[in-house]
Amino acid sequence: MTDTTTTSVGSGRHGGAEGTPILRARGITKSFPIGDRRLDVLHGVDIDVGRSESVALIGTSGAGKSTLLHVLGLLDSPTTGTVELDGVDAWALSKEKRASLRNLKIGFVFQFYHLLPELDAVENVLLPSMIRYGRGAYRRRKRELDTRARDLLIGFGLEERLDHRPEQLSGGERQRVALARALFHDPPLLIADEPTGNLDQATGSQVLELLFSEQKSRGLSLLMVTHDARLADRCDRTVYMRDGVVLDPSEVKDPLPVVP
Amino acid sequence: MYRVFLSWRYLLTRRTNWIGVGGIFVAVGALILILSIMSGFLESSRAMLRGDLSDLAIAPSQEGRGTDGSSASSTRTPAPLLERLFADERVEAASPRLVWYAQAAGDGRRTERLMAGSAGDLSAIQLIGVELRTPALLAEAAAAPLLAALGLPLVPTAGRSADGRARDEFSTTEFFHSLRREPLRGMRVQNPLLPFERPRSYRTDGRPAAAIVMGESLMSGLSLVPGDEVEVVTILPSPDGSVTSANRRFVVAGSFRTGAHALDLERIYMDRAELEDLLSGHREYSEILVRTKDYDEYGAALKVDLERDFLAAGLIAGGYGRNGEIVAFPGQVKTWEDSRQNLIGAIKNERVLMAIMLSLILVVSGFTIFSILTMMVTEKRRDIGILAAVGATPRGIMSTFLLIGFWNAFLGTLLGAAGGILGATYINDIEIWLSDLLGVTIFNREIYYFDEIPSDVEPMTVLWIAAGAFTSTLLFSAIPAWRAARVDPLVALRNQ
Ligand SMILES: Nc1ncnc2c1ncn2[C@@H]1O[C@H](COP(=O)(O)OP(=O)(O)OP(=O)(O)O)[C@@H](O)[C@H]1O
Ligand SMILES: [Mg+2]
Repeated sequence: MTDTTTTSVGSGRHGGAEGTPILRARGITKSFPIGDRRLDVLHGVDIDVGRSESVALIGTSGAGKSTLLHVLGLLDSPTTGTVELDGVDAWALSKEKRASLRNLKIGFVFQFYHLLPELDAVENVLLPSMIRYGRGAYRRRKRELDTRARDLLIGFGLEERLDHRPEQLSGGERQRVALARALFHDPPLLIADEPTGNLDQATGSQVLELLFSEQKSRGLSLLMVTHDARLADRCDRTVYMRDGVVLDPSEVKDPLPVVP
Repeated sequence: MYRVFLSWRYLLTRRTNWIGVGGIFVAVGALILILSIMSGFLESSRAMLRGDLSDLAIAPSQEGRGTDGSSASSTRTPAPLLERLFADERVEAASPRLVWYAQAAGDGRRTERLMAGSAGDLSAIQLIGVELRTPALLAEAAAAPLLAALGLPLVPTAGRSADGRARDEFSTTEFFHSLRREPLRGMRVQNPLLPFERPRSYRTDGRPAAAIVMGESLMSGLSLVPGDEVEVVTILPSPDGSVTSANRRFVVAGSFRTGAHALDLERIYMDRAELEDLLSGHREYSEILVRTKDYDEYGAALKVDLERDFLAAGLIAGGYGRNGEIVAFPGQVKTWEDSRQNLIGAIKNERVLMAIMLSLILVVSGFTIFSILTMMVTEKRRDIGILAAVGATPRGIMSTFLLIGFWNAFLGTLLGAAGGILGATYINDIEIWLSDLLGVTIFNREIYYFDEIPSDVEPMTVLWIAAGAFTSTLLFSAIPAWRAARVDPLVALRNQ
């Protein structure tokens, strides 16, 4: 099941070797020390995400989905195993290089939005670019970046909210800002952990519509944890997880063990 | 780019930062203000310590000479010393004086009362015979009332040699000013330019006594008024090795006030020739007072040169040093600072101690920044996680928090330095304004010796304080900044 069907939908403008998947993880294990004992959460996970492919990650609560996303998103190190991002062995890199790889290649969308409360919507969207560019380079691009950030937010229906701070925004608006931030400088891979988990049905589907249409039009790869079967259906592929292992689709009797 | 942007944003949106900036502001401002006032006070105290000491005093040991067998006769008179002194360009004025100890008592029944009262009243008196170049002054004195009437300053200029250098007491010490200063208890002499003139009220049946001027405390202590006679008794070594006594009556011409009670209680000034006469020619002078053209510049060097030259010429006593070389006996050529060494040293120590104690304020403000930043790091854990998720490096996160500390330090130090300098400069206006506002006298000008709050802003001190505040704040910010870099982004992100 770890065999991947790399459906190349997009134009492939994200560079890297065309044939290789954007994300390739092998033998990922992760264990947490709990006191003097060890809690094994992931037991050797292999997973690939092809270019422009959308993958839904489904599993029981506590199966280790978030933990896996953190490892794949280069936020947490695996106990063993490798993560190749766009052909680069990410966990072999220095902290600094890995941070820059994360900045360039991955856009995150979290369940709890995770916007910086001191920054307004536009500034939150610009944050990854601020981190990416040095002082001079940012200055030179400032006008262009600013316009692009505004246009993106306006495109997401937030023209009235451009200089509002997160606390002045509703949950759906916050998540749209977070989505804009994740997409802003066109990372090839979008990682989302229950992006609608904190939103009501209607707001959630609005955000999802945006997410999918952007994913399609930009030709991004998407790896998304969800508990929603209809959502999983809209993805190219679904990966099932239970107790820290990825299940073969044939083993899955009840395709949705957890229905929210 | 985001480091500067974010640190600035956090600085502006987190009010606690203003407490930090305020803390540094207060610390730096107070430190500059207090040290400036301390410096001012110390500078003024130094002037007060100096009192009426001349720049240099040369006192050859006239007794106990002869370790090297050189003749003592050459130092019996001040002339050779004066000659060498005036050969030096740095010497502005020099004047010999004769000092001797004695006891004094008022006349008639008052004396008996005083002597009966307590022996303590009859303390040792310093008789000081000074050179005033009186004949030369006389001519000027004649013009003095006219000058005074015209409102011209009454300054003694006579007694100068052709090269413009003076040889009288007025030019080397503050004696003239002591004579002119408004007395509190005593009575001023009629003409401060001619202090040793007998007062007009003086009547005598016998030979008229010579006039003397006393410190105002002594004069009022002995219940004397100008025109009264006073008995002076002293003892002298006689040529055969025994001791004889000498006494003489003098007429009190008036009092002087140095402002230092001890001096005003024990000094009697008279003409040097009169004192020499009282001592039967036993001594011509005891020291030569020197005023230099610029003490701060020449004082120390002049002392060294004079000591060497005088020793070479056999004008001061010397002996064999540790390595067999001839060295001058100490204390014969002294600067005024040598005479006040202990007190000046104490003042310097005090200033250093003060600076050290006040530096603790900087440590306190450093701790303020430390706790503010530590709080902020704890509070901003989630933000730190977000920053990491969008690609900030631990180093970048560390410098963001370090920059917050930097802005605190920068603003606080800048404002504090400006405030401190302004405060120290306008301290008197501030004090007056505050006194008016509160209706209390903050600086009592009658208690202190100073007419206003002295303050002396030293650029180097300001620089040191600013640099100290700045670096200590940065150092204190380093720890929370380092901890920010070590925040696990996941722990921060996982929970809402
Ligand atoms: N830092 C940690 N220390 C200890 N245990 C952890 C840590 N992180 C996760 N776990 C444990 O690992 C297991 C998997 O957690 P994870 O958050 O990955 O589950 P999940 O699949 O995302 O569940 P959910 O659907 O509820 O979000 C859980 O039992 C959790 O308690
Ligand atoms: Mg989860």
